[in-house]
Amino acid sequence: MEYRDYYQLLGVARTATAEEIKKSYRRLARKYHPDVSKETDAERKFKEVQEAYEVLKDPQKRAAYDQLGSEWKSGQQFRPPPDWASGFEFSGGARPGTAGTHGFDGEGFSDFFSSLFGGTSPFGGSARRASRQGRDHHARIDLELEEAFGGGTRTLELKRPDMKSDGSLDVRAHTVRVSIPAGVTDGQLIRLAGQGERSSGGARAGDLYLEVHVRPHRLYQLEGRDVTLTLPITPWEAALGATITVPTLGGAVDMQVPTGAQSGQKLRLRGRGLPGQPPGDAYVQLKIVVPPAKSPEARALYEEMRTKLGTFDPRAELKR
Amino acid sequence: MTEAVERYEVRLVSEADWIGAGEICALCRVDLAVIAELAELGLVAPRGTAPAEWQLPAAALPRLALAGRLMHDLGVNVSGAALAIELLEAQQTLERQLQRLEHLLTP
Repeated sequence: MEYRDYYQLLGVARTATAEEIKKSYRRLARKYHPDVSKETDAERKFKEVQEAYEVLKDPQKRAAYDQLGSEWKSGQQFRPPPDWASGFEFSGGARPGTAGTHGFDGEGFSDFFSSLFGGTSPFGGSARRASRQGRDHHARIDLELEEAFGGGTRTLELKRPDMKSDGSLDVRAHTVRVSIPAGVTDGQLIRLAGQGERSSGGARAGDLYLEVHVRPHRLYQLEGRDVTLTLPITPWEAALGATITVPTLGGAVDMQVPTGAQSGQKLRLRGRGLPGQPPGDAYVQLKIVVPPAKSPEARALYEEMRTKLGTFDPRAELKR
Repeated sequence: MTEAVERYEVRLVSEADWIGAGEICALCRVDLAVIAELAELGLVAPRGTAPAEWQLPAAALPRLALAGRLMHDLGVNVSGAALAIELLEAQQTLERQLQRLEHLLTP
C-alpha cells in the first residue's frame, strides 16, 4: 500500500495547531464536497481530505501517525511497523468510512488508513455505531433516460454495515438485482423492502431507498416526467408549415409544424414523455437552421428574398 | 468470493408514502430538532402533533439526507444547510434551463 501524507493533503505543516487543522479541513471540505463542488474528481479529493482530518483531528491518532516519522512521502510503498501504535491508550473512535464520510455508498478510507486505524488495529476495536445507524439505507442509482422510460433490470452492488460479534463494524458488499419500474424520474425514490439495515432479535429489517438520478441525454432534456427535444427545421418548413418525423422516447411520430413557426417555439406531443399517472408530455422546441449561401443558386435565392421581403424588419421592436 | 445475487421487485415511492420521524432521523443523520427547524423554515412539512410522532413524506428524504451531509461534513448549522439546499436546487433548475438554451443556440 502507499503512504499518505495527511499533512500535505490538508495543506498544513506538521507543527499545525488543532485550530489550523480544523480551519484547513473546513476550507477543503467546502471546496470538494460532492454536493456543492464542481471540481473534477471532487468525491475522491473530499474523501482524502476527510481521511486526513479523521486522523489529524484526533490527538491519539495524530500522535501515533506522527510516530511513523516525517521522512515518508505520499505514494511511497508502506507497511505498518510491527510495534505499530504500541504505548498508546485507546478510547475508541470512528470506524474507517463511517465518521462523517460523505456519500451513499459507504465506501471506506484507503488501505493505508485501514491498516493503521481500521478494524484490526489497536484503534479499531471499540467503536460504537449508535449514531451511525442507517447510513447505507439510502443509496443513489444512476439511470439512462431510456431506462427511466422503459424500465429494466439493474444489478447493484450495495455496501451494508453489519455488526460483528466483537462489536466492530464490518461493511460488506452484496449484490442485488432490481427491477426498475417504467416511468421513474429524476429525484424520485424507489424502495426495496427489507434491504435496509439488518435487524436483531427477529424484528423486521429496514427498507432501502434508492434515489434516482437520470443521466443527461444527448437529445432530450428531462423536467419531471416531461421531456424536451430541440428540433432543427429549415426556414421554409417554419414559414410554410410541414409534417416532420420527430424522434420520441417511445418511437418516431409525425408532427405538424404550423405555418409561420418561429425559433424557440414549443410544440407539445401529449403523453409522449415518461410513463406515469398521468404520463409526461414531450415538448419539441423548434430551432430554425439557415442554410449557408455558398452556391450561386443559394445566394441568388437570398438576394431575391431580400428584394421581395425587404419590408420585413425583425428588429422593429428595438426601434420603439 | 462468490456472492449470491438476490432479485428484488422495487416500488416507486409516491406522495402517499410517509416515513416516521425516528426512521428518517437515522437515515439522514439528523435529529428531531433539525427537522423541526427545517419545518419552520418551510423546507419540509411533517404531519402529526408531537415531534416524536411526526411523519414525513418519503419524497423529503433526499433533501433531509443532503441537510445531514452538509451539517456533518461542512459544519454548517440548520439555517446554513437550508439556505444551501435552496440555492443548490435553484442552481440545478438554472442549469437545466441553460442546457435547454444551449441546445437551442448551438449550431
